Amino acid sequence: MSRFLQQLINGLSIGSVYALMAVGYSLVYSIMNFSNFAHGGVIMLGAYFGYYYLTKLGLPFFVAFIASALTTGILAVVIERGAYKPLRERKAPFLYFIISAMGASIFLENIVIATIGPTFKSYPEILSRTPIQLGSVTLGRIDLTMFIISAICLALLVFFIDFTKMGKAIQATSYSVKASALMGINTDLVIIVVFALGGFFAGIAGVLFGMKYTVYPQIGIITNKSFIAAVFGGLGSLPGAVVGSILLGIIETMTSGYLSSNYRDLIAFVLLIAILVFRPSGLMGKITEDKA
Amino acid sequence: MLKVEDLNVFYGGIHALKGVSLDINKGEIVTIIGSNGAGKSTLLNAISGFLKYKQGIITYKDEKLPINPNKVVKMGISQVPEGRLVFANLTVEDNIMLGAFLRNDKNKIKEDLEKVYELFPRLKEREKQIAGTLSGGEQQMLAMGRGLMSDPEIMLLDEPSLGLAPLLVQTVFDIIVNISKMDKTILLVEQNAYKALAIADRAYVLEQGKIKMEGSAKEIADNPSIREAYLGVKI
Repeated sequence: MSRFLQQLINGLSIGSVYALMAVGYSLVYSIMNFSNFAHGGVIMLGAYFGYYYLTKLGLPFFVAFIASALTTGILAVVIERGAYKPLRERKAPFLYFIISAMGASIFLENIVIATIGPTFKSYPEILSRTPIQLGSVTLGRIDLTMFIISAICLALLVFFIDFTKMGKAIQATSYSVKASALMGINTDLVIIVVFALGGFFAGIAGVLFGMKYTVYPQIGIITNKSFIAAVFGGLGSLPGAVVGSILLGIIETMTSGYLSSNYRDLIAFVLLIAILVFRPSGLMGKITEDKA
Repeated sequence: MLKVEDLNVFYGGIHALKGVSLDINKGEIVTIIGSNGAGKSTLLNAISGFLKYKQGIITYKDEKLPINPNKVVKMGISQVPEGRLVFANLTVEDNIMLGAFLRNDKNKIKEDLEKVYELFPRLKEREKQIAGTLSGGEQQMLAMGRGLMSDPEIMLLDEPSLGLAPLLVQTVFDIIVNISKMDKTILLVEQNAYKALAIADRAYVLEQGKIKMEGSAKEIADNPSIREAYLGVKI
């Protein structure tokens, strides 16, 4: 029982960070109907920015955190302007967006290898590594921080989407770009906001990942899991992204705990294929039904 | 008030509008009739700022309309699109309030909301319902109510009766007359030429991207070739 509880807590912790990344995929997909594979690169850069803000600039932890998130928020918007906006203006087919996204992703990874180098970097010890003991369950301080920060961010995002005018505009645009424009919504601005939000959370997720593991140029590959989580929950759906991520996190840690961590990624990708075969719209996919 | 002069629009390689000119005066109901593919929706989308055009000019109160949909709405021209395009994932109330997206005058918005509910009591009953669960007729009403919330001077209606049950078709046309009485100018695009001509002041006949005929709705309705082609009367 205590093993189960332990794995459940680990799963919630890692799943909540997946959720932070997955909402970025989902937000962009909900508006633009393509999977923004450059998102992984933005998360990776978030981890690097956090590292340099902490070590080279010596910023306090929370300042470095917010600074990384702001930097990646801007970076995500720059990628949109450079790699996607020209395609949007030419009304290019969605396949071109995916290719452009992959190009951006490869570019980001290689620019890091070329400038910073391919070696691993470790974050300074921000939180003590000694865990908190709660009965038979041990809580890592970093895991706890990951969960709390992710939960706060997700709650803020839900609030923003459901209760602000811009949030409503995002929801409207995800249903119909044309009808939204006819309401007087500046859909170009909505796209900027969506990328900025995704980039902001990507930065936070990147720093959390950097703290927990290490920083290296291919860290973006881990973020593929959050993409799986987004597909699992239903691409384009924010609640779907969160539920899918938490479930994936728990499935992963349970696999590691009861089988072997060698099977962890195997199970994640089998899950992806199974979802695509049996329920392509995911657990709570975007509503596309329309009445005549 | 709204003036289109010598408008040419290309859609990919297709010359969709070939030198279309028309004008609409304040308070009128003007209808554009024409068969499928004549360019009716293209014309409305060009006015609404969705399409780039190389030749011609669209002016509103002597000012050139921007090619930017949200700016066109701001200037007082609202479009109720073909196929209604209600936000199926949001509630009826959210849909209506999105119509007032650009406005900040809270009291006036509330007044207009009451007016919309007065015009469409059905929407008031279903205020909290998700728009995707409404019937086709109710969605059309929602689309029109939403279009009114920007407090436009001109409303462009694109095929409002399309796909509705015959009984509802008449209701929709009655509502258009009521909207017109609310001091709104209306440009109505319809395939149901018979009903459209019955409520319009003036009409244009659009065929293969060109204005083939224009005149008072009565003149057009009485024209033998129109009667045969669009009203299904054998001569």
